Amino acid sequence: MSVQTTGRTTELVVDPGPVLRLRRAAMDTESVLWRDLLRTARQPDVLVFAVVMGVFFLVLFNYVFGGSIGAGAGIDYLQFLVPGVLVITALQGAQQTSMSLAADLTEGVVERFRSLPISQAAVIAGKTLADGLRNIIGLVLVALVALLMGYRFASFGGAVAALALATVVGYGFSWMGAAIAAKVRKPDAVGMLSMFWLFPLMLASTAFTPADTMPGWLQPFATYQPMSAAADAVRGLANGDVDVASIWLALGWTLLLLVIFVPLSARYYRKAP
Amino acid sequence: MQRTESAALRVQALGKSFGDVQAVADVSFEVRAGQVVGLLGPNGAGKTTTVKMLTTLIPIDSGSASVAGFDVAGQPAVVRQLIGVAGQGAAVDEKLTARENLSLFARLYKLPGSLRRQRVADLIDRFDMESFADRPAHTYSGGQRRRLDVAAALVAEPPVLLLDEPTTGLDPRSRADLWAAIRELAEQGTAIVLTTQYLEEADQLADYILILDGGRVVAEGTPSALKRDLDRDVLQVQLTEPGAILRATSILGQHGQQVISDPTDSQTLQVAVGDDATLALKMLRELQDNSIALSDFQLRRPTLDDVFLALTASKDRVSKEA
Ligand SMILES: Nc1ncnc2c1ncn2[C@@H]1O[C@H](COP(=O)(O)OP(=O)(O)OP(=O)(O)O)[C@@H](O)[C@H]1O
Ligand SMILES: [Mg+2]
Repeated sequence: MSVQTTGRTTELVVDPGPVLRLRRAAMDTESVLWRDLLRTARQPDVLVFAVVMGVFFLVLFNYVFGGSIGAGAGIDYLQFLVPGVLVITALQGAQQTSMSLAADLTEGVVERFRSLPISQAAVIAGKTLADGLRNIIGLVLVALVALLMGYRFASFGGAVAALALATVVGYGFSWMGAAIAAKVRKPDAVGMLSMFWLFPLMLASTAFTPADTMPGWLQPFATYQPMSAAADAVRGLANGDVDVASIWLALGWTLLLLVIFVPLSARYYRKAP
Repeated sequence: MQRTESAALRVQALGKSFGDVQAVADVSFEVRAGQVVGLLGPNGAGKTTTVKMLTTLIPIDSGSASVAGFDVAGQPAVVRQLIGVAGQGAAVDEKLTARENLSLFARLYKLPGSLRRQRVADLIDRFDMESFADRPAHTYSGGQRRRLDVAAALVAEPPVLLLDEPTTGLDPRSRADLWAAIRELAEQGTAIVLTTQYLEEADQLADYILILDGGRVVAEGTPSALKRDLDRDVLQVQLTEPGAILRATSILGQHGQQVISDPTDSQTLQVAVGDDATLALKMLRELQDNSIALSDFQLRRPTLDDVFLALTASKDRVSKEA
């Protein structure tokens, strides 16, 4: 094959084996991560919004509903609420992934990505990783506000583990959000759709209230759905009352989300709009 | 065009339709290393659709294309390593600076780190972007963004370069610079496909031109051959009164010659008179006999514009698309 290689500086890869393919995909992911972190740094409003929402939920539920819910269930409501809000903050981050990816996909640069010799899945992988890092910052900031309000973690290790678990669950959901964005594309529609999954999960969950305060027919869903599992698991870690079953359930849900939505979002993304 | 094994890009009977619209039909050409092929055509001619198929952005409906022998449909991952693209819309990250954009694409092309920084600096220098290289692209003027976009296509020094209307929106100076850059790349052996609506551009840069209209190749050849094919002197008249244009058109057309009006100018008419200067004289006299006043007239050699207008402007494009 006589390929005219006008001063080409990279090796032509014709038939990469699985190892090389994976290595190149990892390089691409790292490059896209770098790009998305730069973009995140230039648009701090997304992070600010996530923190403001978290603080909003803390204040609203603690001062408005805290008295009644706490007294009814016989618990210290702030200690109950904060881990739930951390999980909500993490899932909100996933919702942001969905909406900002949909917006990104309307930008011209995506067309160039398609013409580049890269793993197209890396475009989404880099994005979800950057959003995961952003989520960690948001979670730390919300936790700091909670501390100011009088919340106490049981231990430093517990705090780290709780934030880490919330981040991991949020990461799983961000792939779901990415799949929705890659499939639907229209930013407005994606914004609407993300409400449809976020709100039911959030309201019918143990993030704000214990399951036994809910109507009986709702209790099974409210106990085992992913956000509840995450809320219970994070609460256990944060408050020094580790609930192993919830941790496994939360990790199981995350794994399921990844198994379904990683390949699906890559597939949707690859399809030309 | 000669068919050689060393064609960097080979396009055979390429076709694409969107629903009822046949956007591209039966387009074939070859580009060898160091050659510039121009795709020339009016709006909707199928230039962008062709470029998008060749750059793996949209699937090919019929026919085939290959880059350095690699089939575009069959081995897109290899083809993408061999091409550089500047699409019609600037495809850069608006939130990133020019330097960051180029650096991102250099990373994605997997240039080694040492080379990366140098290549980015070279491109910024070559496209005269220093003054804005460190602010985000969404602050750029159209021409600045365009330059970044073209520079991005060159990051990996690809052997095949596809430029979709690269000079649209550039000021004369930037256009001249880009022309020089394109010539230089061709001299260094890059195979280049360039689409344009500017005949002068195709005339200046392309070694071979395909004129597209309604998705089809309506003429092709070297710029000089295309002009030679229409080796007919052109009588151009400028009417004093725009209102006389219909009458003048019918008078000029009564010897069977095709009368061409410039869509942007309602006072100028052109008619090809072959090498028959007496015919031109006769036509001028007939205009005078019908008291149609002229502010100017000239008998001149054909330009590529004449070829283009003769082949595309007079046709009813609406009915062609339907
Ligand atoms: N996605 C699409 N869906 C439907 N029709 C399309 C699509 N893309 C292009 N077309 C049609 O295909 C034809 C060719 O379009 P194309 O963009 O290739 O033209 P072009 O030569 O690049 O024109 P221009 O000079 O305006 O850029 C047009 O009639 C256009 O309307
Ligand atoms: Mg076009």
